[in-house]
Amino acid sequence: MKRDRSDSMNSQGSLSVSDESIARLLCDDNHVEEAVRLIMKKYGEPLYWHIRRMVVAHDDAEDVLQETMINVYKYRSTYSNEFPLSSWLYKIATNESLKLLKNRAGYSMSVDDLGDSLKDSVRAEASPDADETLLLLQEAIALLPTKQKMVFNLRYYEDKSYEEIHQIVGDSVNTLKTNYHYAVQKIKDYITEHEL
Amino acid sequence: MKEFDLEGLSREMPYKMPEHFLDDMTERVMSKISREQQEQRRRHKERRIYVLFASAASAAAVALLLIHPFKIGGPTIPDYESISQCASIDEVFQSMSTDELGVYSMMSNYYGN
Repeated sequence: MKRDRSDSMNSQGSLSVSDESIARLLCDDNHVEEAVRLIMKKYGEPLYWHIRRMVVAHDDAEDVLQETMINVYKYRSTYSNEFPLSSWLYKIATNESLKLLKNRAGYSMSVDDLGDSLKDSVRAEASPDADETLLLLQEAIALLPTKQKMVFNLRYYEDKSYEEIHQIVGDSVNTLKTNYHYAVQKIKDYITEHEL
Repeated sequence: MKEFDLEGLSREMPYKMPEHFLDDMTERVMSKISREQQEQRRRHKERRIYVLFASAASAAAVALLLIHPFKIGGPTIPDYESISQCASIDEVFQSMSTDELGVYSMMSNYYGN
């Protein structure tokens, strides 16, 4: 298949394929494997970190990323060009992360009740030379209610617009703005309270 | 108390991603997808065979119905024509030998006919 004009060489010299080209390959049964490889190359790392911020543990992030990519393959026919490919990928990754957390919470608890256990995982999973403030930030994020956590991560780390976050999470832009505002306030309070 | 400056903080994560993790993950995903494709092809083939057999069975049933149509309603009763073709009782007695007639007469007396 011919590449799009927007496919270009990036600063590291590797070919950067446009989302439009990847989406076209994804819808073509003869090129679907190539599309999945390109998605892994382009979005594998950002998706991994998005998932890891949600589930904290590397092993869980590994399972969720694998399931995300399998679902990309399985449900490729549901992808609509109306939305950016990245939003669709982040949506699948977010749903798979929530699925894992819901399984972990079981029937008796909600995902929001996992805050303390996720907070404890932060230090267990951190590199030995990790910065204390960065650890406090991750602990504060782990304690946030799920919606606030998703919005904060997508805005603060991924630099997504509220419109993109709306495509991923589904809530209205005003609700997302409110969630982000509360998340930032809670994080600031937590770090201020715990910082030496 | 001074408010914490979140925007000035590094976006770095305090965790590390294992080396070659993404390459290994890509290969694992590709092999899972390949298995999934094989499984899909197998299911598709099975479905086609099932449809083929079902169509053949239906065609055979229709052909049988056309060749030997079912007769609906109770047990079949021989029609008048077939009864009339039976030999009359007199013809039967006429064709019997004297010995056979003797045996017949003995049995009739014995059973009271």
